[in-house]
Amino acid sequence: MTAATARRSRSPLPAATGIGALVAFFATMEVLVQSGMVNRFIVPPPSEIFGSFGRVIVEEHVFGRFLQTLTECLTAGVMLTVFGVAGGVLMHRFKLLQQACETWVAALASAPIVLMYPLFLVIYGRSAWTIIMMGFFAALPPVILKTIEGISGTRKVLINVGRSFNLTPSQQFWKILFPSALPTIFVGIRLGLIFALINIVGVEFLINYGGLGQLINDLAERYDLAGTYAAICFVILVSVLFFMALEKVERWLRPVD
Amino acid sequence: MAAPSSTNNAILTADHINVRFETAEGPVIAVDDVSFDVKQGEFFSVIGPSGCGKSTLFNVIGGLLSHHQGTIKVGGETISEPHKSIGMVFQEESTFPWRTVTDNVAFPLELIGMEKAQRIERAKHFIGMVGLNGFENRYPGELSGGMRQRVSLARTLASEPKILLMDEPFAALDEQTRLLLGDKVLQIQQQLKQTTLLITHNITEAVQMSDRILVMTYRPGKVKRIVDIDLPRPRTSEIVGSDAFGHYVAQIWSDLREEASRGMRDQEKHVMDEGASS
Amino acid sequence: MAETGRLTGNPAPALSPVTLLRAAIILGVLAIWEFLSHSGWLYRDVVPSLLAIGRALLELLTHGEYYFNLGVTTAEVGFALLVGGVAGVAAGILLGANRFLAKAFEPYLYYLGPTPKIIFFPIMIMYFGVGPESKVALGTLSCFFPVALSVAAGMRQIDRVLIRVGYSFRANTWQMVMKIYLPAMRHPIINGVRLGLGVALIGVLLAETKLSNKGIGFLIIQAYSIFDMPRMYAMLIVLFVLSIGANALVGRLGGLHSIKRT
Repeated sequence: MTAATARRSRSPLPAATGIGALVAFFATMEVLVQSGMVNRFIVPPPSEIFGSFGRVIVEEHVFGRFLQTLTECLTAGVMLTVFGVAGGVLMHRFKLLQQACETWVAALASAPIVLMYPLFLVIYGRSAWTIIMMGFFAALPPVILKTIEGISGTRKVLINVGRSFNLTPSQQFWKILFPSALPTIFVGIRLGLIFALINIVGVEFLINYGGLGQLINDLAERYDLAGTYAAICFVILVSVLFFMALEKVERWLRPVD
Repeated sequence: MAAPSSTNNAILTADHINVRFETAEGPVIAVDDVSFDVKQGEFFSVIGPSGCGKSTLFNVIGGLLSHHQGTIKVGGETISEPHKSIGMVFQEESTFPWRTVTDNVAFPLELIGMEKAQRIERAKHFIGMVGLNGFENRYPGELSGGMRQRVSLARTLASEPKILLMDEPFAALDEQTRLLLGDKVLQIQQQLKQTTLLITHNITEAVQMSDRILVMTYRPGKVKRIVDIDLPRPRTSEIVGSDAFGHYVAQIWSDLREEASRGMRDQEKHVMDEGASS
Repeated sequence: MAETGRLTGNPAPALSPVTLLRAAIILGVLAIWEFLSHSGWLYRDVVPSLLAIGRALLELLTHGEYYFNLGVTTAEVGFALLVGGVAGVAAGILLGANRFLAKAFEPYLYYLGPTPKIIFFPIMIMYFGVGPESKVALGTLSCFFPVALSVAAGMRQIDRVLIRVGYSFRANTWQMVMKIYLPAMRHPIINGVRLGLGVALIGVLLAETKLSNKGIGFLIIQAYSIFDMPRMYAMLIVLFVLSIGANALVGRLGGLHSIKRT
């Protein structure tokens, strides 16, 4: 919504101000570090950070790591879609189950699930499955909740239309409820993928295994300061592109309303 | 009781009001040279088709819009910001959802620093006047649209304005609620001898309540005619069935019809243009 | 936002079908758990017996050491929420009030908001050392974004007519802020603080598991390193209960129920 607000304007001035401020910030840091007012062993000069981009990308196999993180993320995403949507549908189908468990799922959504990573570490060892399962569980509650919200948000009149055509319960679900819930379910899956990415990169960093998260940990432990900063920039870039891509896909799938 | 027609007991005067807006498609004249006055105790309505600049006029008189030309005077005083003699009731849902009915109605009293016990007492009085006794401690979310609009009315009345200024206060309500609420407003207005300026696009409503009606044209909004409504008071919605009433409605409709259809053609053209350009 | 109401939803009468189903689910899960722990199908200790977890829970809650560490973590989260929250509200008000600033800077916040904050931890250690300060810094950074975005959006969503009502009654600036803007924004501010609390908690705890010598995160990773699984389960249970409780409490304090709107 915020991005849409920002996009409405045709004037390039605000965007230019934003970019200008960013450039000015980097320039100021450069001056402060070069003049010795800021310790260069804490903050490397921005020029050095940008300079080490190439080195980090080539020497640290950033592309391979990116693919690894992406694979983990997409695996978790497929599991989220299957189990999250199925869970939501199941809970909607059996009202009693929904009444009993929806509060629990909502409560879990506000709990620090990612803190369970040592537990998964015991179960799966330092492997990709620890990371994938962590991403999956941390992102599961919003997918379930959004699915329920989507299905139960179906307009009453559409349900009545279905009944007037004497649809069977299964037709009612596949021809009315599910299509009407799809946009909301997509929102849920997008949220789920974002949560999964955050937790996957975080756990990679914490357990020092796998893709982009581990790269940061590695470089930091080697005291490669400029490299660490560069890697952080790279992770931010990747996540921003990931969010943008998800938004695009969602908008593309959403019917005009 | 026919409205007195000498101008020196006017409580509100609008003198050659002009308002123009700059839009992407060039300037639009919303209000074009509108002059009128409202007398003490009078019920005065401004009626016109959608898009004739009625709401702009409402905002200018309320002092919420100040880039107009011409002057609005209240009791001889020129308005450039909201004036304490004018109380506004808005078209939109405007109760504070976080306040109870009592606290909503007491809002203007709170602003002037009235003591709590006293302002609750005053609020109760006005809540009773709009017929919402028993709902003092409810939140607006628990009330119907018509009840919420009555809360807004009570809130404005609580500030005891010399002039009650209303912008289509019943526009969002269904027809029956609108008629009953109209009765309520009439009853209160007659009880308080409240000078009232009503902005509306509903002919029945305007004729039912007003002493005089100003008919506006569609874009630019000019004064087309000012009609004296010579119907007996006190009135209720039952008057709607009478011959004299029908006569006034027909007269105003013949004025408005032309303006409204001009507005409609304009909107159709606008949609066509947009369709062509995209 | 939708889960807000449900978290504190209407209580069903005792022994309704819902209550029975809930009891059945809980008992069922516990029974399966106990069965698994005795079956020997899984690695030893991954599923410790309920008795062992219960004993660990009791031991945890009767030792002062746990409360000391809980205090450390609570203080860190509290500071993070205070600093990040105040900064977030200020930034949010600025962006919400000024269209130009919003267009210039909000996209950055919008896209930086959901990036994983824990990756900044190495930098925070450089700036603030290995002590609690770096944890507070990470929590602050985590909590700033949701608060700022939520407040900015909330400010833009204030019903314009309420502001006109305030002006029409000649409210002064102070009255406008205290009686209109703040109450109208209470919902998004509380929601922002709830989101902020959640991510600040995660930021602080994860940082503690990575590098620290006190705090709940430290205790959890310590239990992991000596494979004391019952203790780890006990700590996770307490942690979940506390964080869910804190979240519900913030919602209740904010009076999310009293604000009703159709």
